[in-house]
Amino acid sequence: MEAVKTQDVAVNDLPWKIEYHADRCTMCGSCVAGCSFKAIKVVTQSQSLTISEGSQPEPKHTHVARPIIKQVASLTDFCRGCGMCEKICPNNAIRPVRNPDSRRTLLAKDNGPIKRGGRTNLNAQRTLDSIVVGRISQMTDPSLDAARHTFDIRSPFGRVLSAKELPFELKDGKLVQASHTPPVDWIYPLIFSDMSIGALSTRAWEAVALAVGYLNEKCGLPVRMSSGEGGMPVKLLESEYLKYFIIQIASGHFGWNRIIKAMPHMVTDPAGILIKIGQGAKPGDGGLLPEAKVAEHVQAIRGVPKATLASPPNHQGLYSIEESVQKMHLSMNAAFGFRVPVGIKCAASATSVSVYNNLLRDPYKICGGFFLDGIQGGTGAANEVSLDHTGHPVVSKIRDCYNAAVKQGLQGQIPLYGGGGIGMTGNAAADAFKMMCLGANGVFVGKVLIQLLGCVGNEQGRCNSCNTGKCPMGICSQNPRLVKRLDIDRGAQKIVDYVLAFDAELKKLMEPIGNSSLPIGRSDALVSTDKAVAEKLGIQYVC
Amino acid sequence: MFKIETMQGHDRMSTQDLLLAIGDAVKQGETEFEIEASGQHDIGGPLWHPEGKTLHFHVTNAGQRLGSMCLPGTEIVADGSVSADVGWLNSGGTITVKGDAGDTAGHCSSGGKIFIGGRGGTRTGSLMKHDPLYEEPELWILKNVGSFSFEFMGGGRAIVCGYDSEQFASVLGDRACVGMVGGVVYVRGTIDTYPADIKYLDLDEDDIAFLDGGMDEFLQHIEREDLRQELSDWSQWKKLRPLTAAEKKGKKNHDLKAFRLNDWVKGGIFSDVAHDDFAVHNTLSTGLYRLRVPSWDNAKFAAPCEFNCPTGIPTQRRYDLIRQGKLDEAFQLELQYTPFPGSVCGSVCPNPCMDHCTRGTIDEPIQIGDLGYRSAFLKVEPPKTKTGKKIAVIGGGVAGLSTAWQLARKGHSVTVYDDAEHMGGKLEQVIPRGRLAHELLEAELKRIQSVGVEFVTSYKVDKEKFAALRKENDAVVVATGGTKSRFFPWEGAEHLTMGLEYLKAINRGEKPATGKRVVVIGAGNSGMDTCRGAYEMGAESVIAVDVQKPAAFADEIEYIENLGGKLVWPFFTDKITPEGVYGNDGRFIPADQVIVSIGEEPVLDFLPEDEGIEYFRKSWLVPKKDQSIADGVFTAGDTIKPGRLTDAIGSGRKAAWYVDQYVMGKETISFPEKQQIPADRLSKAYFDKCHHCLLGDPVDDHTRCVSCGTCRDCKMCLESCPEKAITRIQKEDGSWEYVSDPDRCIGCGICAGVCPCGVWSINDNPEKIAMYSTGAKA
Repeated sequence: MEAVKTQDVAVNDLPWKIEYHADRCTMCGSCVAGCSFKAIKVVTQSQSLTISEGSQPEPKHTHVARPIIKQVASLTDFCRGCGMCEKICPNNAIRPVRNPDSRRTLLAKDNGPIKRGGRTNLNAQRTLDSIVVGRISQMTDPSLDAARHTFDIRSPFGRVLSAKELPFELKDGKLVQASHTPPVDWIYPLIFSDMSIGALSTRAWEAVALAVGYLNEKCGLPVRMSSGEGGMPVKLLESEYLKYFIIQIASGHFGWNRIIKAMPHMVTDPAGILIKIGQGAKPGDGGLLPEAKVAEHVQAIRGVPKATLASPPNHQGLYSIEESVQKMHLSMNAAFGFRVPVGIKCAASATSVSVYNNLLRDPYKICGGFFLDGIQGGTGAANEVSLDHTGHPVVSKIRDCYNAAVKQGLQGQIPLYGGGGIGMTGNAAADAFKMMCLGANGVFVGKVLIQLLGCVGNEQGRCNSCNTGKCPMGICSQNPRLVKRLDIDRGAQKIVDYVLAFDAELKKLMEPIGNSSLPIGRSDALVSTDKAVAEKLGIQYVC
Repeated sequence: MFKIETMQGHDRMSTQDLLLAIGDAVKQGETEFEIEASGQHDIGGPLWHPEGKTLHFHVTNAGQRLGSMCLPGTEIVADGSVSADVGWLNSGGTITVKGDAGDTAGHCSSGGKIFIGGRGGTRTGSLMKHDPLYEEPELWILKNVGSFSFEFMGGGRAIVCGYDSEQFASVLGDRACVGMVGGVVYVRGTIDTYPADIKYLDLDEDDIAFLDGGMDEFLQHIEREDLRQELSDWSQWKKLRPLTAAEKKGKKNHDLKAFRLNDWVKGGIFSDVAHDDFAVHNTLSTGLYRLRVPSWDNAKFAAPCEFNCPTGIPTQRRYDLIRQGKLDEAFQLELQYTPFPGSVCGSVCPNPCMDHCTRGTIDEPIQIGDLGYRSAFLKVEPPKTKTGKKIAVIGGGVAGLSTAWQLARKGHSVTVYDDAEHMGGKLEQVIPRGRLAHELLEAELKRIQSVGVEFVTSYKVDKEKFAALRKENDAVVVATGGTKSRFFPWEGAEHLTMGLEYLKAINRGEKPATGKRVVVIGAGNSGMDTCRGAYEMGAESVIAVDVQKPAAFADEIEYIENLGGKLVWPFFTDKITPEGVYGNDGRFIPADQVIVSIGEEPVLDFLPEDEGIEYFRKSWLVPKKDQSIADGVFTAGDTIKPGRLTDAIGSGRKAAWYVDQYVMGKETISFPEKQQIPADRLSKAYFDKCHHCLLGDPVDDHTRCVSCGTCRDCKMCLESCPEKAITRIQKEDGSWEYVSDPDRCIGCGICAGVCPCGVWSINDNPEKIAMYSTGAKA
């Protein structure tokens, strides 16, 4: 007789159920040894049977006890569906299966709100997937040939002045610059964004950085990477490679202790500064780095003890957009002698256009980039309620901001970058191209990068355990036992390959519309089969 | 000879008319064509003579696509330069252009030869092909070609001689050979960059033989034989060919590891704070990098029997010894814990060990009480050495005797003082002989004496005697138990008979006054004993009342009920009269005698009053952690709180533990107490349910005992470990140990999962890996 109470947690209450075939299992122990979540264990199971083999009832009793792999019925040590067991099993004897009857969201609130990483699980509708590149040049004007044509795939980062504002004057018959202009760099329209040291393992962060170094040095693609708000490695700050990196400052100002100390030792300027006001995954909520991930190096780089680190939802010194522009942009510009572009990142929201307009009208022309992050952005840790129930899609907001700038004749002056779910369905180039046709100067990606490193998380509740420090791939963990699973070179290689393919794919999309430079604002190239989307974005509705 | 002038004054012949005229002439057998064209397209093909004769064209001022789709057997010579697409889709003709060719010369040609005496335009040679059934096409150009030449070329040979082209940065223009997958381009002169999948090579012998063999024909066709010498310095020539499919496969495009090692920040960007060798571990590791490690935690946890036995007897260890065939040792083991295995464990103890026995959750509990009885008449060796320490124990009940037993076996000289005539306390005085055979008790008391314990009976301790005992001894243990029946100040309490005295009188052999109808207040075990006593003394009916569900053992209740007794509860006594008992709800139970049996409290009037001894409710002692109440004075048993006999034995053991440390002047070490093993550590699946009728000799229960928390040496772990990491170490003293080799173990926890006893644990690997630091310089 089993002693089970109706309110006991059972595996059927969990988001994933382990499908196990004892007949195939060799008890090699690999799945249990490899599961970082302790979601499975070995138990001994018995089978007591009374059978009859004769031609009349002749009871015969058998009893067999054998070890099996059993799922742990726990709301804390539960299966996340990462599939490491399935990957490692030599006999296909075990795998996680999504459980549609999960009650975890309901039951697992003993310690307050549920926290997790990843992206929203409830708002997976993708505007970009209802848009296609529909203006195909054929007889009207020749399409281009990606293999033969030269394409100009560069976007500005920095405040662009209109021609009439450029401070040129004639001196001795030569055109010379009379005064300082804001710095502008022309960079690749794909920015690696904002995953902090701490959120990522040292190896994961370095793999992404290494790919950036390689893409710049060996492939001629000026890809930039934003540090995220966990500071920067001192060795990188003091190296020539710093020029490829955008240093982020967010509300927690984490890491700036060592960044400032490194200034006298810098041999080059960083690629830019990004002031993070908010992020798409959890707008209006602050950053969160759970204690499990605050290892010694994170404590040191951030200047904090081992504790759960929360960035406040807003910058403590900023009370208005005017202050943000005047104070924060000014300080960040001043810090690097007004030589380095300073951008700002906000979560897409109902107020995005007002903010962008305000920045555009700033007489000091001090904002060098407006980064809008949408609801499908990812995070290392957040309250699930924020991830699933707050946020704003980015596509129409990029369009609105672009149109607002066009209305004033100021388009392109503060470069617009869009992010949050770029590459979510695998093809970041298509997403980027469409975003640019709608008015973005470029896009930024984060989750795609860690997925290239091996992350198996998705929007259907797979893994998303970035907050636990138990990342089975060693990407979002500071546990050396897990971190050392990650191959930096192989991970960086995947990113390099992806970006090179992205570059080729971008050209494949520029080909049919006959653009050899980035099609910023070329909304005529897009059509949509969704009437509402077409109407909202001002593109052709087709069916 | 078909000769035609296509311009008559201002009238120009259309391409259609000209081509139809040429076609008609070929059909009629004409072979020689002299065409003075005016830009007409497509002259020269596709045509074939009905008898297969060669067609000769001499063309001036041709338009685009001269010699398009030209077939073998057609030879075309164009004076001067021609427009675009000369030799377009040429499939075998020989086409000579004396001057320059326009754009896309030789485009898609797959046969024949094209000779250009000047320059070629952009995209010259693009998409040339070679059909393996036929000879490969050749495209000879004297000077240079425009940009995007030889794009997507798939076969054939193109020869760009670079004559008179020094003024150009590249004789192949910009971005030659993009998308080229086959064929070869020979070139003499400077060229621009070429794609990564093209090889730029020196000529080999076959190349030179080809060029040398074809050069004369080319120069003859364009009438520049004078250049033979100049163009035949083969060291000035190179060739371009695409990588073969096999070569492309073998090529690794990006080597990030090399970049990291050679170009990247030395040692990595985190090398100041992360000490990383960049070695990539398998998902599974052994040793330091295992996620989890097993540990063989033998006897770390108490078995439920051990934990729930107030005396603390580890029955699983007895069965372990039995399994090893060490029956005597098994029985002796119990005597290390109690002097009363027969009187208490095997007779009057409620056996809480069995209530919690794991086996009871499978079928029936292990027969622990009965097993205890096997130690009842066992002899023990007196201690070999004496410590010379003297200890007085006041009170000869189970608590005192347990303390004395433990201390005597350690070699101390122990004397037990009791005011009764016989030692044994409640066992002797109160427990009905029907529940406990007197011979058994006496045998066990004798055994206590056999280890050197002195008994002093009929010795009532008062304040003076107590002080004297303290003086004469190294320590004194107060174990006088509860000796005064408790009752509440009910109305008519003076009519009560004290249960304890009543039972004592019976056991002394007296016949205490007993009514016909008796009511016993209190339905615990002593209440049942009282009922039993009343029946034995002649009562006709006995009713036990209690405020709560009777706490007595089911057996005892059943016994009383079988005698005709009744239990009434809840019943709150309100008043006692000579006629009976009234409840507070007005109920009345008639009785001739009311005996109270709701417990006893200690009488401690002999203790000093000036040493700060603490009491609970003025009756019970509140000892310190080491069970002392004053310097050198310890206590055990019911003086602390009312309990069962086994509680008193355990309390005595515990007191002895501290008394020994005290008299020996040892550092105080806490009495060892283990946690009960969590049930989920045990693997009960091995044990098949047996029928409750089939319980045998308690000794044979070693097959049924799960051996909770203590290794039963079954070797399941040893045999199950997938990495063969576990070994068994046999020790000289007969014990053993299982160890897991960290260099083999992957931390799967199969050992923990298959261990029936819950001895193996699988825990997070506690060993710290020094990977991260603050970056401080050492």
